[in-house]
Amino acid sequence: MTVHKAIEVKNLVKIYNGSQQPAVNTISFDIPQAKIVGLLGPNGAGKTSTISMLCGLIQPSSGEATILGMSIHTHLQEIKKFIGVVPQEIALYPTLTAFENLHYIGNMYGLKGESLRKKINEHLEIVGLADVAKKRIETFSGGMKRRINLVAGILHDPQIVFLDEPTVGVDVQSRNLITEHLHLLNHKGTTIIYTSHLMEEAENLCNEILIIDKGEIISQGEPKKLIEKNQTKNLEELFLKLTGKKLRD
Amino acid sequence: MLRLFATIKKDLIILLRDRGGLAIMFLMPMAMIMIMALIQDAPFKDYQELKIPLLLVNNDTGSLGRQIEKGLLESKIVEITKSTISDVEVKQKVKAGDYEIGIIIPPQATQSLHNNVNQFVSKKLAVAGLGDSTKKTDTVTTPLDLQILFAPGTKKSFKATILSSLKQSSSKLETQTLLDFFSKRLATEKSDSTQVLKEFINFSEVNTVETPAEALLLNSVQHNVPAWTIFGMFFIVISMAGSIIKERDDGSYTRIRTMPGSFITVLIGKVSAYLLVCLTQCLLMLLVGIYVLPHLGLPTLQIGKSFGGIVFTAFCTGVAATSYGVMIGTIFRTHQQSSTFGAVSVVILAALGGIWVPVYVMPEMIQTLAEFSPLYWSLSAFHKIFLNGGSINTVVLYNLKLIGFAAVMLGISYFYNKVKR
Repeated sequence: MTVHKAIEVKNLVKIYNGSQQPAVNTISFDIPQAKIVGLLGPNGAGKTSTISMLCGLIQPSSGEATILGMSIHTHLQEIKKFIGVVPQEIALYPTLTAFENLHYIGNMYGLKGESLRKKINEHLEIVGLADVAKKRIETFSGGMKRRINLVAGILHDPQIVFLDEPTVGVDVQSRNLITEHLHLLNHKGTTIIYTSHLMEEAENLCNEILIIDKGEIISQGEPKKLIEKNQTKNLEELFLKLTGKKLRD
Repeated sequence: MLRLFATIKKDLIILLRDRGGLAIMFLMPMAMIMIMALIQDAPFKDYQELKIPLLLVNNDTGSLGRQIEKGLLESKIVEITKSTISDVEVKQKVKAGDYEIGIIIPPQATQSLHNNVNQFVSKKLAVAGLGDSTKKTDTVTTPLDLQILFAPGTKKSFKATILSSLKQSSSKLETQTLLDFFSKRLATEKSDSTQVLKEFINFSEVNTVETPAEALLLNSVQHNVPAWTIFGMFFIVISMAGSIIKERDDGSYTRIRTMPGSFITVLIGKVSAYLLVCLTQCLLMLLVGIYVLPHLGLPTLQIGKSFGGIVFTAFCTGVAATSYGVMIGTIFRTHQQSSTFGAVSVVILAALGGIWVPVYVMPEMIQTLAEFSPLYWSLSAFHKIFLNGGSINTVVLYNLKLIGFAAVMLGISYFYNKVKR
């Protein structure tokens, strides 16, 4: 039986309408299953465009990508069953309770009944929100919203999870809980693709790093090896060495 | 189906928890129905039911005065107050607006008419060689002077109606008098000189309605209840477009698009939830027309006999309104843009569609434009059912237009999304 890689990308290009510069410029990379991969880069580097193409949110201008061996051009609906997305925004309905939000999202993935309720309660327990399950999201703190946002993306037990800055704007405790939860998922075999501007967090969390700048991959490998190879103290220094100190926005 | 029902449930819960949105969706049209029905009650009666106050000073004791009074009463559009006050006082009362119209019949008016007719007959008979040629027949006749006073601002239509009624009454009497005088002058001993003039042309009013429901008039309630119900249903575009834009802004839309299954199912779910709200709005507004408005001194709303026709029209109106909301929510980027455009466009379509005032009182050019307003199609369908005893078959064409409008709106949204992606 063939074991497919989680993600295989070949010469992927994205040029937006009205733009002459490609947002993603002929990138290629592979991600094995059960890895935590950090997709790092300055603002406008092409991280979100890359993830959006892999999730089927936007169509590539050219190139090929497969998720678990299935092409994003031909098997997008099938792929969507196996991926989970945690957007940077709190993509929840503020006037619905935490439980109602997760119940709706579960239904959208075809989950229902007692098994769904059980799954929701388990996840809420893990992220420390079981007590406030019946409270509206609009009453939650930023950290609580982030935790629910994470649960919404992984409720259906996806094989691959895409997270776009999942810990932005939260306190240390919430960040710690989120990263612990990601580790737990990874130990169960889930592949995690993660973008962040927090280099220390990425260094500690990820098995592998992809640094993108100006739509191209400029470095790829295990964080420790990359740091050693480039003779820098940490990932942040490496990042600045590779991408420069010039402001991007 | 799970995705569809989950979306309907989600959107209904969100709608029910949005108190401001609920107020706009339910209280606003309810208030509009009550206020507009009360405001427009008098103008509608002006056209159809109102009696014009008329002050009649009949100084004549003969048949002319009686004939004029009878004619005015038969016209059924005036409420006559008889008085014996002076000409100056009549003028003052009409000018002050106490009466819309004043009519002064001078003393000896009948006698004066007889004199004029007698002179005319004598002259004609003399010319024909039948009269007494020794009698002097060249006396100049002076027309009888009836004074009609109109209050400032009296509608032209009222003036024309009153003058027409007066001319009809006096003309009949003139002709009768003329005939009498000719008969008397040409009379032989055996002839009957008291013939009453027959009407050679008879105008008979033919009733085109077959059922009591069809005999209903377009009164303030019959117009305003369906009109503002439709307006309220279309006003849902603001809430709906806002919901779509909010989901797009907060990432929910992005999350949904990463989920398996067609996005169209989610869209249908959203449209269905708002459609349910539209149908509930329609039901409540009709109940207001039936049970609340009569307590305000207004007529009870008559809804005809085609329940199926009402449901069909309400459904098609709801589909058109929600589809319009989808289009606005898809095209516009911010809630401010969508709410401004949504509100203004619905008000314009409402004005053109005869929601504010019936289309038949609008200029011809606007009446032509009304044909392109979905609110006009919906209102026409409701009027057919409520006023003309219409059935589902009667309103099919209007409702097909509404569904066609919905298809165009959803088509624009689909292609806009596709091109954007």
